[in-house]
Amino acid sequence: MERDPIVLAERAREGHQASGARLIRMLEEGDAGALDGLRALLPHAGRAHLLGITGPPGAGKSTLVDRVVGELRRRDQRVGVIAVDPSSPFSGGAILGDRVRMQTHATDPEVFIRSMATRGQLGGLARSSFEATTVLDAMGYDVVLIETVGVGQDEVDVVELAHTTAVVSIPGMGDDIQAIKAGILEIGDLFVVNKADLPGADRVAKQLTAMLHLREAPRDGWEPPIVKTEAERARGIPELVDVFESHRDHLESSGSLHRKAVRRRERVFHDLLRERAAARVLAAEPDAGRGVLSALASGELDPYAAVEALLGPDELSASRGVA
Amino acid sequence: MSDRKIRVLLAKLGLDSHTVGVTVIAQSLRDAGMEVVYTGLRQTPDMVVQAAIQEDVDVIGISSLSGAQMQHIPKVLDRLREQEVDDKLVVVGGVIPDEDAESLKAAGVHAVFTMGARTGDIATYIREWWDTQRAQEA
Amino acid sequence: MIGSSDLCTRVPELVPAPEEPAMSTAPNEPPAPDEVDAPQSPASLSAVSDSDSARQAEKNWRRDVLDPALAEQPERQDPFVSQQMQWPVKDLYTPGDLEEIGFDYLKDVGFPGQYPYTRGTTPTGYRQDLWTMLQVTGFGTANDSAERWAKMLEQGLNGFIIEYDLPTTNGYDSDHPLAEGEVARAGTAIDTLADMEQALDLPWDKLSHLNSVCNAPQPVNLAMILAALEKREIDPSSFTLQMSNAILIEYTCVGRYIYPPKHGLRIATDCIEYVIRHHPNWIPITVVSAQIYAARANPVQELAFGFSIAMEYLDATLARGFDIDEVAPYWSFVTGLEMDFFEAVSKLRAYRKIWARLMKERYGAKKPESMQLRLISSPGTTGLTLQQPLNNIARLGIQTLACALGGGAYAITTPLHDEAHALPSEEAVRVGIAVQNIVAHETGVADTVDPLAGSYMVESMTRRMEDEVFAEIERVDALGGALAAIEAGYFQKELARSQRDRHREIEDGIRKQVGVNHLVQEDEKRSIEMFKLGQEAEKKQVAQLVRVRTDRDETLVAKTLERVREAATSDENLVPPILEAVKAYATQGEICDVMRDVFGVYHPDSLTSGV
Repeated sequence: MERDPIVLAERAREGHQASGARLIRMLEEGDAGALDGLRALLPHAGRAHLLGITGPPGAGKSTLVDRVVGELRRRDQRVGVIAVDPSSPFSGGAILGDRVRMQTHATDPEVFIRSMATRGQLGGLARSSFEATTVLDAMGYDVVLIETVGVGQDEVDVVELAHTTAVVSIPGMGDDIQAIKAGILEIGDLFVVNKADLPGADRVAKQLTAMLHLREAPRDGWEPPIVKTEAERARGIPELVDVFESHRDHLESSGSLHRKAVRRRERVFHDLLRERAAARVLAAEPDAGRGVLSALASGELDPYAAVEALLGPDELSASRGVA
Repeated sequence: MSDRKIRVLLAKLGLDSHTVGVTVIAQSLRDAGMEVVYTGLRQTPDMVVQAAIQEDVDVIGISSLSGAQMQHIPKVLDRLREQEVDDKLVVVGGVIPDEDAESLKAAGVHAVFTMGARTGDIATYIREWWDTQRAQEA
Repeated sequence: MIGSSDLCTRVPELVPAPEEPAMSTAPNEPPAPDEVDAPQSPASLSAVSDSDSARQAEKNWRRDVLDPALAEQPERQDPFVSQQMQWPVKDLYTPGDLEEIGFDYLKDVGFPGQYPYTRGTTPTGYRQDLWTMLQVTGFGTANDSAERWAKMLEQGLNGFIIEYDLPTTNGYDSDHPLAEGEVARAGTAIDTLADMEQALDLPWDKLSHLNSVCNAPQPVNLAMILAALEKREIDPSSFTLQMSNAILIEYTCVGRYIYPPKHGLRIATDCIEYVIRHHPNWIPITVVSAQIYAARANPVQELAFGFSIAMEYLDATLARGFDIDEVAPYWSFVTGLEMDFFEAVSKLRAYRKIWARLMKERYGAKKPESMQLRLISSPGTTGLTLQQPLNNIARLGIQTLACALGGGAYAITTPLHDEAHALPSEEAVRVGIAVQNIVAHETGVADTVDPLAGSYMVESMTRRMEDEVFAEIERVDALGGALAAIEAGYFQKELARSQRDRHREIEDGIRKQVGVNHLVQEDEKRSIEMFKLGQEAEKKQVAQLVRVRTDRDETLVAKTLERVREAATSDENLVPPILEAVKAYATQGEICDVMRDVFGVYHPDSLTSGV
C-alpha cells in the first residue's frame, strides 16, 4: 500500500477511497510528511458544505445522521461522515460504534464514513478532525457531516469546524436543557428536537425559543430555526435538509461563509503553531526539556517556573509586557 | 509527533447474533489502547470490506459462533483481494472446527482463535504483528 | 425391632416442642383456606433457642473451638464469595442470621401452594407429579425434525422445545441472501405452512407440551401452527402450546429482532391477546430470563430485568381491556441455573416469592393463579465447558439437583453435555433424560417439599436476593420501565460490563472452572464438530420453498398480504390476517417484509458503546 502522501493525495482526488482513508490515518497519527499530502489537497478543498451535528448522548444523533445522509443521497449529493466518539481516559483506546446506525449506507460508494476517537482532545473533536474534513472535501464530497457528542459548553470545537451546526435535543430531558449551556446554545445555527413524537416535544421547542431570545442578535441576520424530527421514522428530514441548504445559501450571501473560513484558518494556524512551537522548545535541548518535565512532575518546579526554565527568566513577568 | 493507535474492525457476518464474545473482545482491545470500530450485526462481506477500507483499520476481526462462517469469510478475503487491500491482518474468533480453521488459514486468514484462547492473547498477537509491520516500514 | 410403643415415645423428641400453640395465635379467626395474606407467626416458630444465649454460645465456640483450629491452619482463601453475586459467604450460618433479617416463617416462607409461594406454587411439590421433562432440539428440515421428535417421545419425554433456524427466527426465507449457510442449521427451517404441516406430523397421543421458541416473527409462527393443526384435525385444546414470544429480551441480548422495540411489543401483545381470547389453555408468553442469564447477568440482574420486561408485556396487555387476574396466570418464565448451588436454590425460591409479591402488591391481583409463578428451569449452558466435556454430565447432575431442590419449576430441561462442540447425538440426548430421571427417582429430593427451607444460609440468601431484585426493579422503573430502558441501552450496557467482568474472572483464575483454568489437560485436543448437514438440508429446503411458491394462488397471496399491511398500519390485531396469509401459503419472509415496510427495521445503538 502506497505511503507517499503526495501520491495518496493525488489518488484520493481521483476518488480512490483507500488512498483518502490512508491519508486521513497518517494525519491522525501525526506522521511526518502527512501534512504535505494535506497541503497538496488544500487548493481543491473549500467546496463542501460542512455540517456539524452535536448534542447529548441519547438524542439519536447517529440515526438522524443516517436519515440525513439518505435524504442527501436522494438529492444526488455525495456525502462524507466523520463520527467522533470519546477515547477512554484510562487506556487511550476507544470503541467506535456509530457505523452500526448507518448500515443502509455501508455499501454505497458515494458515502464515506470515518469513525474517529477524540484521543484526549477536550473540545469534542479529534485533533485531526479538521484535517479529515479537508481530505473528504478535496475528494469531492458535496456535504461532510461531523457528528460529535456535545454534553455541555465545552464541546464547541465543532462550531469552529463546521459551516452549519445543528444542536440536537430530545423531549424529556428536563433540566438537561439547561445543560446545553452557553457555548453551544450561543453558536448553534439550528436546533433539532428529535423523537418529537414523545410527549414534551412542544415544551422543549418552547424552552429553546425562549433561550434563543436571550442570546445576542446575530450579526448576519440568521434566525436559528427549531426543527422537529422523528429520525427513526424519517419524519421531518427533508425539512431539516432544506434548512441546511438555506443556511448554506445565507452564509454565502451574507459574507459569513468568508468570515467562518477566516476563523477556521486562524484556529488551525494557532493550534498548529502552539503545538509546533512547544515541541520545538522541548526538542531544542532534550536533556534540559526532560529535566524540566521531571522537576515539574516531582513538584520541584511549579508550572510557571517550569515555563521560565525553558523560555528564560522573566518570561512571565509584567515587565515583559507580553499578553 | 506520533499518536499511533492500532485500529481494529470487529464484525459479525450473516445472522449470527451471539454477541458475548465480540463484546468481551471489543472491551479487551479498547482496554489495551486500541481503537475498535464495531460494525454491528448482519454484515455482508461487502459491508465489512468497505468499512475496513474507509476506516483504514489495521485488523479485521470476525466473530463466528454460528457455524455458517465457511460461507461468508472466504468472500471477505476475495473482496479484499479484488480491492487490492493486502496489508490488513485478518483474524477470526469463535467456535471453529479444526479443519475449517485450516481452510480459513489457507484462504488467507492469518489466525484463528478458538477454544482456550485468552482475550489477552488476541491483543498480544495483534500488537506483535503490528510491531513487526512497523519495524519493516522503518 | 422397634415396636410401635417405642415410636410413640420417640417421636415427640423429633418435633420441637412448641412453647406456645403453633400457628393459631392469629388474633380473631383462623385464616380462611383461600385467603392469601399470611398471618404473623409468633417469634417462637422461627427461634430454636433463646437468642442471647445462642449468640454467647457462638462467641464461645469461635473462641474455644474455631480460632484454635484456624491458628493451626488458615482457611483456603479469603474471602469466600458466592460465584455470581460475589456476596461474602460466612463460615457458618446460625439462627442469629435469621434473626438479623427479621425472618418470619409465615410471612417469608409460608406453606407450599399458599402466598407468598416461597416453598412452591403447589401444595404437594413433586409428590403427586414429577416435573415435566423437556429437551431442546430441532434441526434440519421439518421432516428431519419430526422424525427426531417422534423418537424422543418414544424415549420418555412428554414434550419438547422447538427451536428454529436463524433465517426463520429473523424473518427471512431460506433463499434470502442473508440466510445462506444458516438454513436448517441452528434449528428447524420453516418457510411456509407446508413445512409446519410436515414438522407437526407426530404421535400426538404422547405429546402433552410443545414449546415453540420464535420471537420476532411470532404471529407468523403462531398462525402456521394453528393452520397446521387445523389441517391435521388436531384439537388445539388437547395439548399445551407454549410460545416464547419474548421479543423484548431479544433486544437486550440475543439479537434476533426485526422491528423497533415499540412495534416488537405491539406484535407480541397481539399474539398474547389472541391466544388468551381463543386458546385459553395455551401459554402465549414466556419470559426467558435464562437468556439474560446466558448473557452473563447475575441472578439479581436476571430476575430484575426479566420481571421488568414481564411487567412491560403485562401493562401492554392490560391496556387491551383485561383484568390482571385474567392475564397474569399466563405469564411463564424460563430460568437457567449456574453452578453455585446455593445461589441457584435461593434464586428459584426468590423467583417465586418476588412474582407473587409483584402481582399482589403492585397489580392488586386477587386470584392465587395470578400469583403462582409458572417456571421452567434448566441447568445453564454457560456453566458447561468445551474442555473435558464428560465433566459436564456431572455439572448437569448437580444443577438438575439444584432445580429440583429449588422446586416450583413445573418443567426442567437439560442441555446436552457436549453441545459446545458436537453434533447432537442420540446418546447425549439419552444422557440428558437420564440425569433428570436419576435426580427424580434415585435421590429422594422430589419426595418432600422444599426441604432446604429453614436453612439459615438459604433463607438469608433468598431474602437478600429478594431485596436486591426489588431495588434493581426500582432503578428500571426510574428509567421509565423496560421498554425505555431497552431504548436507552441500559440493559445492554449492564450486560456488557458483566460479560467483561465474568470473562476476566475466569481468565485470571479468580473463579475456578475445572478443565478451563483448573486441572487443565494441557494437551487436550478437542475436535469441534459442527453441523455439516447444512448443504443438503439447505438445498432441500429451498427446493420445497420454490415448489410452494409455484403451486400457490398468487392473487390470493397478494390479497392476504395487503390485509396484513392494513392491520399493521392500524390497531387491528395482526394474528387473524396473518393466519389468512399463511393459509394462502404466503411465506414467512413475505409476511415479515410487509411488516418491515410498515414498522421499519431496528438498528440499535452499538451494543458496546458507553461501556
